[in-house]
Amino acid sequence: MVMKIRLPQKSILTKKFIKEKGMKIILFLSAISAIIIIFSIIIFLFRDAYPIFQRIGLGPFLTGMRWNPVGQPPLYGAFPLIIATLLVTLGAMVIAIPLSIGSAIFISEIATPRVKIIIKPAVELLAGIPSVVFGFFGLIVLTTWIRISFNVPTGETWLAGSILLGIMAIPTITSVAEDAISSVPREYKEGSLAVGASRWQTISKIIVPSAMSGITAAIILGIGRAIGETMAVMMVCGNPAYGLIPQPITNVFAPIKTLTATLGIEMGEVATGSNHYYALFGLALILLIITLIVNILATVILGRLKEKQRKSKKKKPVISYEFGRKIKQTFYLLIGTIVIAILFITVGLLPTIGIITLIVVIYYLLRKISVKVQQRLAFSAITATIIIVIIFLGIILAYIVTNGVGALSWDFITTGPTNLGRSGGIFPAIIGTLYLVAGAIAIALPLGVGAAVYLHEYTKEGIITKIIRTGADLLNGTPSIVFGLFGFAFFVLYLKLGFSLLAGQITLAFMILPTIIRTTEEALKCVPQSLREGSYALGASKWQTIQKVVLPPAAPGILTGAILGIGRAAGETAPILFTAVVFSDFISSSVLQPVNALPYHLFTLATSIPGSQQNQAGTALVLLLLVIGIYFIAILLRNQFRKKMKW
Amino acid sequence: MISTDNIIRTENLNLWYGEKQALYDITMGILPNKITALIGPSGCGKSTLIRCFNRMNDVIDKCKITGKIFFYGNDIYEPGADAGEIRKKIGMVFQKPNPFPKTIYENVAYGSKIQGITNKNELDNIVEKSLKNAALWEEVKDRLHESAMGLSGGQQQRLCIARSLSIEPEVILMDEPCSALDPIATAKIEDLMSGLKKKYTVIIVTHNMQQAARVSDYTAYMYLGKLIEFGDTDQIFENPKEVLTENYITGRFG
Repeated sequence: MVMKIRLPQKSILTKKFIKEKGMKIILFLSAISAIIIIFSIIIFLFRDAYPIFQRIGLGPFLTGMRWNPVGQPPLYGAFPLIIATLLVTLGAMVIAIPLSIGSAIFISEIATPRVKIIIKPAVELLAGIPSVVFGFFGLIVLTTWIRISFNVPTGETWLAGSILLGIMAIPTITSVAEDAISSVPREYKEGSLAVGASRWQTISKIIVPSAMSGITAAIILGIGRAIGETMAVMMVCGNPAYGLIPQPITNVFAPIKTLTATLGIEMGEVATGSNHYYALFGLALILLIITLIVNILATVILGRLKEKQRKSKKKKPVISYEFGRKIKQTFYLLIGTIVIAILFITVGLLPTIGIITLIVVIYYLLRKISVKVQQRLAFSAITATIIIVIIFLGIILAYIVTNGVGALSWDFITTGPTNLGRSGGIFPAIIGTLYLVAGAIAIALPLGVGAAVYLHEYTKEGIITKIIRTGADLLNGTPSIVFGLFGFAFFVLYLKLGFSLLAGQITLAFMILPTIIRTTEEALKCVPQSLREGSYALGASKWQTIQKVVLPPAAPGILTGAILGIGRAAGETAPILFTAVVFSDFISSSVLQPVNALPYHLFTLATSIPGSQQNQAGTALVLLLLVIGIYFIAILLRNQFRKKMKW
Repeated sequence: MISTDNIIRTENLNLWYGEKQALYDITMGILPNKITALIGPSGCGKSTLIRCFNRMNDVIDKCKITGKIFFYGNDIYEPGADAGEIRKKIGMVFQKPNPFPKTIYENVAYGSKIQGITNKNELDNIVEKSLKNAALWEEVKDRLHESAMGLSGGQQQRLCIARSLSIEPEVILMDEPCSALDPIATAKIEDLMSGLKKKYTVIIVTHNMQQAARVSDYTAYMYLGKLIEFGDTDQIFENPKEVLTENYITGRFG
């Protein structure tokens, strides 16, 4: 006789069941937070921008040639500001694209492992320098250099903005492009070498073409980064009255006023509810739409790339290979025509023909020289790009360290400022930054980890995960100044929190949320499926498994994400500019009071307090040390983590 | 098999990956227009050895070599030797088919193009001839300009063979060319190999002892980085001199 065992029935009344369901709901809510935030941003910007569209019309707002909201009559023409943003970004890309792609090729294909270990963190370090520190360096060193070496009346120009933005976009483009190049299968490389191709032929004909879509996405992300940057651009571009665009349009030595700079400068002095106020939100909306489009484009390209890698073969492409090639050819032809047209407009007919002939001649000469010499030339050029990048980094660090170290003392970091910050220390700003960062991480960490756990553990890849991920990507690409405006409209005004620590903390938390979601997801991906199965096999529930088996080994990875978020929050200025900070020496005792913060302190000293040079450099150094220290810990942790994670 | 006819000969070849020595004192000679098989258990160094013949190990960091490898009497590891030139003479087919993400035509024409051949007719001829020699022409002649990624695994591997034939090498190295293929595709590649030896010298690494016995003229048995026995394929399989070889052949281990 067989014994019958009655299995316990699933009951909805057990504590365990309620806990499981409850956790799932909580995690789901954190997962959709990114979507809710991005939608609230769009809604609130639109709400406060709508009146200006209504009063002066969308057409005149977009096409008006003058921006002068305080004039008589006030003029609200966004067109020159949009053009200025595009021009500065274009210039930045002319600098950043060759340097970044060269660096990416160097790091992934040419550097020996020993060199790579040094170079890669150096480029990442560039990403860690807060934008206000870039702005400070640009304002003092770069603009002076431009003024003297090109003999122009002011160095605060389009060129200054483009150089600075170019440098700032380099780490973004380099790291994404390097990922793309490194993930080209090694088999392709070996296949090419095996038929006698040189290393350079292999790189230029096989590796880079195979990585092309990743490199394109990298460039687009770099463009997004450049368009959205506020502090550095605002500090070095000169911001002319009426936002006039350069005359002629190719004059790189003209001052220029971008969308972000206009927001950064004017938002602080505008009367709430005035036409000017609504017009600024109109600008923010335009800015957000541009960056959203740019980021969606990058996401689509990268997403398709991943799909291609996953499914790889056997699937017939929607468009035939031939047709695809024709599209590509047309695209390159179009770009070529545009470049020639620009050349023609700027330098005239004869020089254009001259330049084109020169390029053609050089191209044929290059084909004539031997493969070995070609390779040597190409490798020298690529090595030069990485050297230029390292020199940029070196100059910036050296300037700030040599000038700032004189101001550093125990008193400097433990006392308050005197004489408007010209003397005394920066204690309140340090404390303010710590408060802001602590609050931001306390909000963003649980939300971000919850979202990542839901995405990775509770759902299958599908529409919902796609939407949530897209939301997080879009949030990641949203310019920091837009967070600032949203924070002002929503927390400061709508929720009546006023200029307060709390408003700043939440705004920063929203900004770093996508970083935390992404790094946590990466960490969860590294936990092998067999561990989960082992736990389920012992009868553990989902939440028990996550809590006891999945999260502990993922903890260092999650911590790395949190630290990266802390570093970003500590260095950002734009999001707290209109939500939390005042230039003061008092230390807030409640979350509803405003604070001072290191980046804001530096910004104010550098732009409005003459005679505070030494303390500017000192503040920049402290901020730099703080942020770089934080990143350094993150990098160490990550390396440690990678070593341990070889299952 | 050391003889004056050797097309490739190694002398006291030692190889290290970092601290770990992977090849010990290998001295062997390869005869032209023959198929030589390298067999042995996993990790015995057979793939490492074959990758020495066209300097493919250069791609690997921290790989160090002592000893000599002669190709027609020229040391290929000599300081001035150009790895690219050597690889044009000594082609290679890999374990996993590795066509480039380009069209079938572009895959085969690639090797000639990088040598500077741009004439369309000439390239067309090279592509057709190579694909015919790799017994793939009939299957792909109507879709030369489609992506090579759409081919089956066996077709991809024959495409890779065509690619290596396109630059008319003298030696073809095959590193377990059938390990990712099903038996039918494997049979096609094996047929192809016996045809190839009329024009080329073939060296093949294989895990499959029946395959070595079926296709090769000479067989080398390797174990733990050492060359244990090298001789006529029939002799190695029917009458091995070394106990280690016999144990492996008879399936007592490995």
